[in-house]
Amino acid sequence: MSYITGPDVVKYACTCGLLKPIPQLYFCKHCLQIRCRFCVCHEVDSIFCGKCSENIPSAEARVKKNRCANCFICPSCQQELSTRIASKGPANPDDAKSPIKKTYYLSCYFCRWSSRDVGIPDQPSATGGWPERENVHINRLQEVLDTYKQIMHSEKQQKESDKRKQRGKFVSYTDKTGVTASALRKRIGLPDIPHAMLKKPKPPEPAVAKAEVDELPESIFTEPIKLMEVTTIEQRLMQPECQPLTVDKLFPVHKQLSIKQSLRCRTCEHNVSKPEYNPNSVKFKIQLLAYCYIPEVRFVTVEPLRAGQTVELIIKFTNPTQYQTTITILDLDLDEQAQYVEEQKLIDLTQNLEQALSLQEKQPMSLPSLPYSSGSQPSSLLSLPRLPSVIVKPRKIFTETNCDVAIPESSFILPPRDDAAEYDDSSEVHNFEDDPKLIKWRKSNKAFVKLAVTPRADLKLGDEVVCGFTMQHIYTNVLPPAVENKQPQKYDHKVRVFLTLGKVVGSE
Amino acid sequence: MARNSFKIFPGALVCEESKLRGDITVGAGTIIHPSASIIAEAGPIIIGENCLIEEQAKIIHRLPFDQQNKDNTPVLIIGSHNVFEVDCTIEAPKIGNNNVFESKCFVGNKVTVSNGCTIGAGCRITDEQILKENISIFGSKCQIRESIDKPVPQILQMETLMKILPNYHHIRKPNKKH
Ligand SMILES: [Zn+2]
Ligand SMILES: [Zn+2]
Ligand SMILES: [Zn+2]
Ligand SMILES: [Zn+2]
Repeated sequence: MSYITGPDVVKYACTCGLLKPIPQLYFCKHCLQIRCRFCVCHEVDSIFCGKCSENIPSAEARVKKNRCANCFICPSCQQELSTRIASKGPANPDDAKSPIKKTYYLSCYFCRWSSRDVGIPDQPSATGGWPERENVHINRLQEVLDTYKQIMHSEKQQKESDKRKQRGKFVSYTDKTGVTASALRKRIGLPDIPHAMLKKPKPPEPAVAKAEVDELPESIFTEPIKLMEVTTIEQRLMQPECQPLTVDKLFPVHKQLSIKQSLRCRTCEHNVSKPEYNPNSVKFKIQLLAYCYIPEVRFVTVEPLRAGQTVELIIKFTNPTQYQTTITILDLDLDEQAQYVEEQKLIDLTQNLEQALSLQEKQPMSLPSLPYSSGSQPSSLLSLPRLPSVIVKPRKIFTETNCDVAIPESSFILPPRDDAAEYDDSSEVHNFEDDPKLIKWRKSNKAFVKLAVTPRADLKLGDEVVCGFTMQHIYTNVLPPAVENKQPQKYDHKVRVFLTLGKVVGSE
Repeated sequence: MARNSFKIFPGALVCEESKLRGDITVGAGTIIHPSASIIAEAGPIIIGENCLIEEQAKIIHRLPFDQQNKDNTPVLIIGSHNVFEVDCTIEAPKIGNNNVFESKCFVGNKVTVSNGCTIGAGCRITDEQILKENISIFGSKCQIRESIDKPVPQILQMETLMKILPNYHHIRKPNKKH
């Protein structure tokens, strides 16, 4: 999203330790923590075609190689192709009243490529039946694919039979009706034949490397090249199975499907982003963007930066929420963050240990699959017991600051956002007891704050100056939904903010 | 610049608000929108039949610097069934038939346009060249391809405009007989 914060001058530290501008961050209302795309769980919600807006079940999408069966894109310029009608005179030329016969062809409005260009016959119906080109390598690909399928199958069987053996010697008569065939064989003294699928699959013929290639034809050196007939690299890579060299071999390509994705907090497993199911809708059911909940810091201006000299920095704070908040600027305190990282590691370790112990007591079971793999069926995921999803371990913030910030003694209040305030100039009366040393100016939910910053004395000319502080703000939680007589809960939330101020300039 | 002198053939629809400068001839069936500009700076412009010149389109007859100050006055001849879409700027010295100049494209004064060409939206063509028949130029990199056919004429659109435009705009009266 191209949010107006422009170059990333102000960055916020995510809980996982990465620094990102605020439009790229999410805020989990349940953990009260900042999350980013790196430390949330990505799930495929639905698969759809962007042209015909049809939802396609994941199994079907897999069979169709994630492409829409009905929509095509232009092999020449990669835009979508449209179906056009061509009337071909009456079906029966002798009878003037007979209906006009319509035929259909594909055409690109962008580069004027059409299915007639490459000699694809017009179709009698609009929905297609467009000829598919045969892939010359299909046999070989199928062979390789089959082999891998067999390997997969035999590994599965192997695992299952291993499990059966582990479970003990007493349950071989599993069948209610009596003994199994294998047990019967043993009993009457016949050798136990292994299951057919347990046999090692036959590997396909390996590909052979070849150093000798055909000589280039004579004409390539003598005849002028016709650029209009040669395909571009993009056009060739669009059709990897045949990689056409000339434009007359370009065939329409099935349109690639798109996905809708939901993001889940890995710690509490609540969604931080969930799109609406309907492919036509661009709205979200859940969208916990950080810039809707966390005050936004913007860089306004700074005096010329010189090593060792204290200068005035002005930044703007904006409260995006419906609730009044109090902002306190605290020391960056990266040690505290490092400690938090260590704590998390420890918690993780003990949890792992407990899990291992409890696993030993119970039956051995296969590890639960990651939510990734079952991503296409979010409903089934919800019905499962809470799984220990992989938690991204927080890491230390590595950004070096080379500029000290004088921490102000007082804090300040930001009133709630008021969309009507912009049109109303009259009621600009605030009764906040502002520290004039801290607040320079304020308007509705915004405040301009003065900070004294000192770039370190050992900085050289042209060095980038980075400063940072911890912003503590009061977050008002409206979850859970309005329980009787319950005030919305208020929390102190801290977030580390880093500012890139610019470069050190020379002396006056 | 030469004195303004317009020859408009019957059946042409030239809105009075359009900016016409110099010696201009407009063929039958041609539509010129209210804020199109046609500037015959270097010599007369002759526009053929059934052309569509849309809003903000600019057709300028301007010679390259190295060809100025010559004795003979060149004439810019534009063929029939050409479409000049919104906000295109065309300075070509010669234009054939059935060409489409898409929105915001630019054709310089060293480019000769033959027949059935499409200059894609936003494409800038400035180098000295002759565009071959049925060529389309498209995309941000001005890719070129050759089509088998000329672009489909916009008959329906032109018919509608012929009916609607006179209801809302003053029209220049045709002053030429066949
Ligand atoms: Zn993160
Ligand atoms: Zn589709
Ligand atoms: Zn195309
Ligand atoms: Zn959470």
